Amino acid sequence: MVLDNLGSSLRGSLDKLQGKSRLSEEDVEEIVKEIQRSLLSADVDVSLVMDLSSSIKERATEEEPPGGTSARDHVLKIVYEELVGLIGESTEIPLEPQTIMLAGLQGSGKTTTAAKMAWWFSKKGLRPAVVQTDTFRPGAYDQAKQMCERAEVDFYGDPDEEDPVKIAREGLEETDDADVHIVDTAGRHALEDSLIDEIEDIESVVNPDLSLLVLDAAIGQGAKEQAREFDDSIGIGGVVITKLDGTAKGGGALTAVNETDSSIAFLGTGETVQDIERFEPNGFISRLLGM
Amino acid sequence: IIEEEDLEDPLWELEMALLESDVEMTVAEEILQTIRDKMIGETRAQVDTTGELVSEALHDALYDVISVGQFDFDQRVREAEKPVTIIFTGVNGVGKTTSIAKMARYFEERGLSTILANGDTYRAGANEQIQKHADNLDKKLISHEQGGDPAAVLYDGVEFAEAHDIDVVLGDTAGRLHTSNDLMAQLEKIDRVVDPDMTLFVDEAVAGQDAVQRSKKFNDAAEIDGTILTKADADSNGGAAISIAYVTGKPILFLGVGQDYDDIERFDPERMVNRLLGEEE
Ligand SMILES: Nc1nc2c(ncn2[C@@H]2O[C@H](COP(=O)(O)OP(=O)(O)OP(=O)(O)O)[C@@H](O)[C@H]2O)c(=O)[nH]1
Ligand SMILES: Nc1nc2c(ncn2[C@@H]2O[C@H](COP(=O)(O)OP(=O)(O)OP(=O)(O)O)[C@@H](O)[C@H]2O)c(=O)[nH]1
Ligand SMILES: [K+]
Ligand SMILES: [Mg+2]
Ligand SMILES: [Mg+2]
Repeated sequence: MVLDNLGSSLRGSLDKLQGKSRLSEEDVEEIVKEIQRSLLSADVDVSLVMDLSSSIKERATEEEPPGGTSARDHVLKIVYEELVGLIGESTEIPLEPQTIMLAGLQGSGKTTTAAKMAWWFSKKGLRPAVVQTDTFRPGAYDQAKQMCERAEVDFYGDPDEEDPVKIAREGLEETDDADVHIVDTAGRHALEDSLIDEIEDIESVVNPDLSLLVLDAAIGQGAKEQAREFDDSIGIGGVVITKLDGTAKGGGALTAVNETDSSIAFLGTGETVQDIERFEPNGFISRLLGM
Repeated sequence: IIEEEDLEDPLWELEMALLESDVEMTVAEEILQTIRDKMIGETRAQVDTTGELVSEALHDALYDVISVGQFDFDQRVREAEKPVTIIFTGVNGVGKTTSIAKMARYFEERGLSTILANGDTYRAGANEQIQKHADNLDKKLISHEQGGDPAAVLYDGVEFAEAHDIDVVLGDTAGRLHTSNDLMAQLEKIDRVVDPDMTLFVDEAVAGQDAVQRSKKFNDAAEIDGTILTKADADSNGGAAISIAYVTGKPILFLGVGQDYDDIERFDPERMVNRLLGEEE
């Protein structure tokens, strides 16, 4: 079963169902509570957890386990289905020429992710280029340039230019030979109106096929507001979760996917350019439920 | 008399409110437990509802947690033997380097001279980033080549400050996750070799439940004197402050409230409690 590595308390309450073929109301109550605990400790949005757990409760109470299925497996199946229904499959990334823009909070991992994604595309046989439009953060140009050297991919930036929109325009022209353009942007948050205006301007020049929201796995309940604002301003087509090599569970990504009606594209699992994986729902769901 | 069952609903609502503010779950539960213990058996006056009493008790409980260990930071630095070496630690991207730049400005305004020392010999662009801050602020930076020994750079910083009568050494470290045994061992080594006067843990206000795990691990590796909580401008929750103060037992000293050099404030426990309880002016 996919959900074998469950958190110990959740597993404990599920194990009590061992051998049972029917669930009592208290059984359901207890399991739903444990699921809530797991998801809340994974930083999933509180109201989303409540919505999810009430559909799980309803289905677990009302649906008859199919013949031969134990009550335990039946509940697990419902939980899994509800979560998969929300998270979905990995964001589709066609292996063809395209432009992808990255956006997100300060320090979430955009610049690192840009180089990682470029590395990923180059391994797929495409020619990527990274365009660095961050004119704000000291050293942003050098950081992106060095990361692209490590990834052995093309890079464009202009440390003397102050207008990110101009860099975006020129960068796309200068890297015309590349198949895949990855546009990095300065960090910003939902409450900074002038910076939100700025990214809208960049977006209209870049005209990306896909805009990805880069989220730190450790982000808390603020994920919802950040995701909503970025989606409103530039339209978010997918989420990247970074720093999954730590202990944070990344539940903010579930919130963000729900909020932007999108999906998860990539996972970041370290600081080097190779530390990138395509999203895969099973492992992520196990993590959310607290392995 | 207040009975256990009178408390069920109000406490459940409080728990959800604390989680919505990003207070870590086990910390929230312990805070609620102190409230439960305190209130059961209390008599209540005609005029008070249980809900009102609970929120008063919560205010006090949160204040107790969040005001832990507060000390007069300026005085401590002013009176310490010079140079005072301060090392900044924390996970990747939380705002260590930016906070160092802000602190250089902060000390300058208080008549103390500073130098910066870049113990981040790992991340791409780290030297260029902090050099730019040093130039903007007109401060000297001690740095080595990428790949060098971080403890050695910081040590050089201290020696330079001693030789040139500098008051404060602000030592940066590379971001690292607490799950990396190698990097946490390196942090222990830095702490041992440099033996700083103060270690400040930097974390971000946007962090959720993980704040507990990482602050604990960093405090274990290189004992901290306090915390700087950054990106408070990006987040209205601030529960990370509670989680970190609770598990480390060390004070939150500063709040980062933006990306400019002046965007740093002394942390005010009372204001944070009001903010958490949605009672802000
Ligand atoms: N351990 C780990 N560190 C990561 C990962 N992704 C990024 N980082 C680190 O996180 C920090 C911030 O990453 P950046 O790529 O600079 O983040 P950013 O979003 O571009 O930051 P701003 O441009 O300042 O908004 C750096 O120390 C990176 O090395 C990851 O998946 N795992
Ligand atoms: N909005 C906001 N942004 C901040 C604040 N403090 C830092 N930042 C931004 O967060 C990003 C990361 O800051 P850094 O100072 O590079 O973080 P760091 O911890 O040194 O990162 P690493 O060295 O890569 O681990 C930058 O874009 C900063 O401008 C703050 O208080 N508010
Ligand atoms: K969308
Ligand atoms: Mg960046
Ligand atoms: Mg740094």
